[in-house]
Amino acid sequence: MTEAATTTRPSSPYYTEPSWLRVGDLDVAYRRKGSGEAVVFLHGAGATQMWLPFYERLSESVDLIAPEHPGFGDTEFPEWLDGFDDLVLHYRDFFDLLELDRFHLVGFSLGGWIAGHLAIFYPERLKSLTLITPAGMHVPEAPMVDLFAMPPEGIPDLLFNGNFLPYTDFLPNPTILDEIVHGFGEMGTLARLIWTPRYDPKFARRLPGVRVPTLVVGAEDDRLIPNLHCDRWAEIIPGARLERIPGTGHGMIMQEPDKTAEVILGFIEGTNR
Amino acid sequence: MNKLQFYSLMFMPYPFIPPAEELPSTWVNLPNSYYDPKIGHRLYSEYLELNVLTEKLGYDGVLVNEHHQTAYGTMPSPNIMASNIVARTDRIRVGVIGNALPLHGNPMRVAEEIAMLDVISGGRIISGFVRGTGNEYHSYGIDPSTSRDRFWEAHDLIIKSWTEPGPFAWEGKYFNLPYVNPWPRPLQEPHPPIWLPGFASLETIDEAAKRRYTFMQVFSPRAVLKKALDTYRRLAEEKYGYEAKRDQLGAAIVIYVAETDEQAHREARPHVQWLFREGLKHPPYFAIPPGYQSKQSFKNFLGTIIEKGIPDIYDLTYDFLIEHGYAIVGSPDTVIEQLTKLTDELGTGVVTGAGGQWGAMPHWMAIKNMTLMAEEVMPHFRDSDGKPMWAKEERLGKHTLTEHAATVGKPAIAPSIPWDNGARVDPRIAHLPELLDEALASGDGAAVERTPT
Repeated sequence: MTEAATTTRPSSPYYTEPSWLRVGDLDVAYRRKGSGEAVVFLHGAGATQMWLPFYERLSESVDLIAPEHPGFGDTEFPEWLDGFDDLVLHYRDFFDLLELDRFHLVGFSLGGWIAGHLAIFYPERLKSLTLITPAGMHVPEAPMVDLFAMPPEGIPDLLFNGNFLPYTDFLPNPTILDEIVHGFGEMGTLARLIWTPRYDPKFARRLPGVRVPTLVVGAEDDRLIPNLHCDRWAEIIPGARLERIPGTGHGMIMQEPDKTAEVILGFIEGTNR
Repeated sequence: MNKLQFYSLMFMPYPFIPPAEELPSTWVNLPNSYYDPKIGHRLYSEYLELNVLTEKLGYDGVLVNEHHQTAYGTMPSPNIMASNIVARTDRIRVGVIGNALPLHGNPMRVAEEIAMLDVISGGRIISGFVRGTGNEYHSYGIDPSTSRDRFWEAHDLIIKSWTEPGPFAWEGKYFNLPYVNPWPRPLQEPHPPIWLPGFASLETIDEAAKRRYTFMQVFSPRAVLKKALDTYRRLAEEKYGYEAKRDQLGAAIVIYVAETDEQAHREARPHVQWLFREGLKHPPYFAIPPGYQSKQSFKNFLGTIIEKGIPDIYDLTYDFLIEHGYAIVGSPDTVIEQLTKLTDELGTGVVTGAGGQWGAMPHWMAIKNMTLMAEEVMPHFRDSDGKPMWAKEERLGKHTLTEHAATVGKPAIAPSIPWDNGARVDPRIAHLPELLDEALASGDGAAVERTPT
């Protein structure tokens, strides 16, 4: 787990060279573009090393900052990474170094789980919180699908509801060994974070204390993290609003980048009034 | 002639399951409604009988191992199996190969149980340590990305607990114990022999060579076996400055012997197929979860598979398995010839999995295989006396009370209890007034000296 991240340039046409920021002992890869309100986007457990059309759309209206989590994308796996508390402190330092005092936070899937923790521990820094089909909620009647218990080739179907061919540019190329190995490495980081338990047992008690304007963005039919999860997030955070994007599955930021971005931009603008 | 040690390794399969093609896996999530404990009782009885039989047949040792939630083998607690075998045998070595250290919350449980087994068995235990297959991490909810680190910390703790006086504190990353102080300690000095069964990861081979542990390569094609054992020898010589002995290098090989080559294949083929095609149906997402291997190991492993076009283990055909040396099947002459060739090529002195039950054989067939193995094959690789290793050495635990009394003698400290006037007496004579009075009067003998305060 300590090796350098894969050095071969990924095959995706959305690949871009990252910028780098030294945070503590770790070189963090991130991408930043646009001007206006600072918006930090925390990615999910994949689709890294790319500048997504969704990012491009957001950056037309805001100053979008998209870092890669430790052990994802081009950011190496640090020995100290044991759990979400390590990520919370890591991101506090990242925000400090970029002098992001107050900003809007958007988290997708795994990134939503991290964003939930940041909202609990640093609510005063968040102008708003957007959670796009976030992971981490305990919903015993509809648990998240076990990503670790399926062949990698089964995952695209879950993300794009059986129709992944238009989206292969967002996925690792299964014929390139380095891309498979890179994915194995990212899944290893994910295992370190969520192997057990597959949710945060303390969210139920802690999230009701969050006082940040919150939008939950759900898919129409999420086959990875069932729709009930977004309902639960929206119920548990005081004043949170839930909006669903029609025609989408879990991979909504790739399926409907413009619609998803517009919903978020509208919400962010609203919180600034 | 290459002298070989033979160890029986039986997995205790539960073969009464639907066809593997109809199941995503015969591990982890194979519904346990297929397990009938009444059938299980009979299977355990037969399997344990086979294990006990190994002593009479003259195997050098009998091995048990740990796997969870699988029809491949129903031994989630190998120490319980070892305890049963130990109780029903007298001289043969019993190897637990091994306890899957990262799966267990407190490694001291393993240290204690192995020490108990060693003391109970009179010093006959071999202690293998493994990480377990990736499947176990799904079954036990243990983060596979911490597996290697947890393994070595648990290993270091157990070895220290057996070799350094307790109590001492263990302040590790994964385990924290204020008073490490196992009662009992193992009988063998400094501790039972350690085996590290593995899948040829460079890290495992290096660690085994460094500590001079017996490395045992689990079922693999001949080419992989050879590469692994050569690596051990090279590391021993170049990095650690010694020449590896043959008995440090083990190979797990399925062996089936019958009267003729033709008959052997007839009898073995269905059960070799059960082992690999049914019992070992564990898809890669279960067998190799993320983080279980380092990225580099995973890349080497996957790269080799892609490059050589090696199919999934459960897609291997019988002919492929025979051709690549996973299994040796034939008449006694054929098995002797092939085993000689293979072990010479590999330079190994330890053959495990050597005959017995590893599929869905009827009980009699397993006995037949083991009997022919012992009678027709094993003597060929022994000294002229035909004796197994254990028959050439003294058992540490004495067999009779007279031997014990003559050689071990009395404990260093006699038991004592407080008596009148602050004297301490040996409770074993306190009920005998003549001896007690005498001892109290003389101030020695039955009266025990008080511990200095």
